[in-house]
Amino acid sequence: MELQDRFDELEAQGLGAVAISYDREEVLAAFAERKGIATLPLLSDDDSAVIRAFGIYNTVAEEGVGPRADDPDVKADVAQYVSVFGANPMIVGTPYPGTFIVDREGRVTSRFFEEFYRERNTAANIMLKLGTPVSPIAGTQGETSHLAINAYQSNPDITVGTRFHLGLEITPMAGMHVYAPGAHELGYRVIRLELDTPDFIRLLPLQYPASDIYHFEPLDERVPVYQDRFTLVQEVVVAASPEAAEALANLDALTLTGRLDYQACDDRVCFDPASVPLTWTLTVEPLDRQRASQPR
Amino acid sequence: MRPILLAICVTVTIMMLGATIEAQERDPIDVSALGPQIGERVPDFSLPDQHGRIQTLESIMGENGAMILFHRSADW
Repeated sequence: MELQDRFDELEAQGLGAVAISYDREEVLAAFAERKGIATLPLLSDDDSAVIRAFGIYNTVAEEGVGPRADDPDVKADVAQYVSVFGANPMIVGTPYPGTFIVDREGRVTSRFFEEFYRERNTAANIMLKLGTPVSPIAGTQGETSHLAINAYQSNPDITVGTRFHLGLEITPMAGMHVYAPGAHELGYRVIRLELDTPDFIRLLPLQYPASDIYHFEPLDERVPVYQDRFTLVQEVVVAASPEAAEALANLDALTLTGRLDYQACDDRVCFDPASVPLTWTLTVEPLDRQRASQPR
Repeated sequence: MRPILLAICVTVTIMMLGATIEAQERDPIDVSALGPQIGERVPDFSLPDQHGRIQTLESIMGENGAMILFHRSADW
C-alpha cells in the first residue's frame, strides 16, 4: 500500500495518516500482515457508521442491488461509481473512495475525490498538489549545452486507474533562458513536453510554474522566461476501462517516451530549437485480487 | 360523466402522472459535493485499527494535520 510507504515522509512533514474502510478488524489484520503495513493505521468501520457520518456513503452500491437495479440511470451510475462488472451486495457499505487533508483542528484544507471509482490519486500525487512533494523516484538525468535535465516520476509502479505524475527538473546553464507560457504570442517557442502514449494513458495539461520576465532591450520586449531551476509536472491517468486492464495485464513494465522541445537563448544569441528524447519506465502492478482468509 | 367530475378526474390523473415522473427522477451523483467541504470540520471518530487499538481523529493527528483516506476494501 503506497500510503504506508509514504507514512514516514508524511510524518516528517507533520501529517498524520489513516486509511478507513468497512472491512472487519480481522480482514485488516490479515491484509496488514500480508502487505507489511505496521505503522499506517487501517481502521475498521464495519458498520459504515463513520463513512455515513462523513457523508460519503456510496448510495449507488445500495441502489444497484435494490428495486431499481434495472433502471438505466442506476446501471450507468453503478458502472461509474460501483463496479464496471455490475452491482454486487458485497460492495454495499463502502464509501466513495477519496482523501481529505485536514489541519490540526480537523478542518478540511483539501480533498480529492474522483468521478470514476477506479481512478485514484497516489499519495505522492496528492502531496505534490499540496505543494509539499515527497521524495520522487529518480529517473534519467542529462545535459544539453543549454540545460541540465532531471526526469523523475512520483511513483515506481502503476496499475489500472493510477493517477500519478512525471516531473522534469530543469536548470538552465548560466546566462541561458528558455521560454515560458505567454512567450508564444511574441513569437517565441515555449518549452514543452511531448509524450507518445498508448490509448489507455490520459495526459492532463502540462503544469508550468510561475515565470520571470526577461527584458530584451534591443526590441524593448518583455518576455516570460525561465532562467533559474524550474520544474514541469505532467499529471498522468492510467485509464480504468476493461480495455486498459486487458492491455496492462500483458505488461510487466510500461515505458513512456517523449521529447522536451525548447529554444534557449542567452543575452546575445538564440540557439537552434532543440528536442531532447526522454523515457520513463514504470512497473505495472497487477490489481491485488487476493482476499483475506475470512471473507466478509 | 359531468364536466366538473371529468375535470377533477383529469386533474387528479395529471397530478398522479406528475408524482410518478418525479419519483423516477434521481439526483445526479456529484462526489465533489459530498462530505465536509474545504474549511468545514470533519466528524470525530473512534475505530479499531489492524492491531485492535482504538484510534480517533485526535490520536492519528500530526502537528500539521492529517491525511484521511477512505478506500473501498482491503479485502477485494
